Amino acid sequence: MIKKSVYKIPEGKLVKIELETTDNKIKKIKITGDFFLYPEEIISKLEKSLEDRLLTKDVLIKHFDYFWKINRVDCFGINSSGLTEAILIAKEV
Amino acid sequence: MKVRLLTSGFKSAYENMAIDEAVLVHAQENHQSTLRFYGWRPAAISIGYFQSLKEEVDLNECQKQQVDYIRRVTGGGAVFHEAEVTYSLITPVDGRFIPQDIIESYKKICQGVINGLEILGIKSQFIPLNDIVAQGKKISGNAQTRKKNVLLQHGTILLDVNVEKMFSLLKVPQEKLRDKIIKDVKQRVVGVRGLLGKKIEFESCQEALIKGFKKALRLEYLKTSLTASELIMMQELKNSKYSRPEWNLMR
Repeated sequence: MIKKSVYKIPEGKLVKIELETTDNKIKKIKITGDFFLYPEEIISKLEKSLEDRLLTKDVLIKHFDYFWKINRVDCFGINSSGLTEAILIAKEV
Repeated sequence: MKVRLLTSGFKSAYENMAIDEAVLVHAQENHQSTLRFYGWRPAAISIGYFQSLKEEVDLNECQKQQVDYIRRVTGGGAVFHEAEVTYSLITPVDGRFIPQDIIESYKKICQGVINGLEILGIKSQFIPLNDIVAQGKKISGNAQTRKKNVLLQHGTILLDVNVEKMFSLLKVPQEKLRDKIIKDVKQRVVGVRGLLGKKIEFESCQEALIKGFKKALRLEYLKTSLTASELIMMQELKNSKYSRPEWNLMR
């Protein structure tokens, strides 16, 4: 089952999540919205990197923080805590 | 800074986005800067790179109303292009004319729009990340990408706003809130004609923007057209990318 959420990041942009889960882990995820990431093509790598991640706040925030850093991603209208919140809302649907 | 000035007139969404990319790719090799002004015919909805076309746009309604739809290479939100002037600036990011810092570069380029609006008699200001507002309402949205140290920023300057038509083409998260959303957007978005209370032609707005950018970025214009090589690439991108579902329905 695909779970969905729509979340407006405080002071940021709208994020939409499509999430498939298994055993409290991410099986597959699609992140869409009107945010900006530089470079743009990194979004596929980001989605792939989330597969098998545990669906907890700490794990996800740490994952995003690390991902932005090692891939030198600039984010506008989107951030680690906002994305995490959007994913956890989808999880509870 | 020397820039090529292109006034392309009205073109389809596919041609417009293909021209922007063809010029961007050539600039990666020839390091030339280009400022282009254009309109959209037929009218079109463009969505941001990260958006889902099917989630954002009512494709059947677009077909019914003969409105094209396209994915941009830049992020940001869905835009209805009908009564507006669009610009694109393509330039190497060298840190001299265009700051490396993304927000600072938006601010500097958007000053061209602000100066142009001022020539038309409209006071406006830049609101980070990517908006220009006049009398508290959005009049211009802008979006930027960077590829191999070359920047492409395109943005719209609204002449008129037709919120009802725009929302007949866009999907809303909750259908029952459609009327409220339309009312809210009407209070938050404005066009040049609405602010001035008179009809301003596309060409007059374009002329003001040409002067506005010249002053903001200290430009020296070389009036020209696309090169043969850019035209070939534009056709190729139009046919193999921008008019194709593989690109437009990518997310």
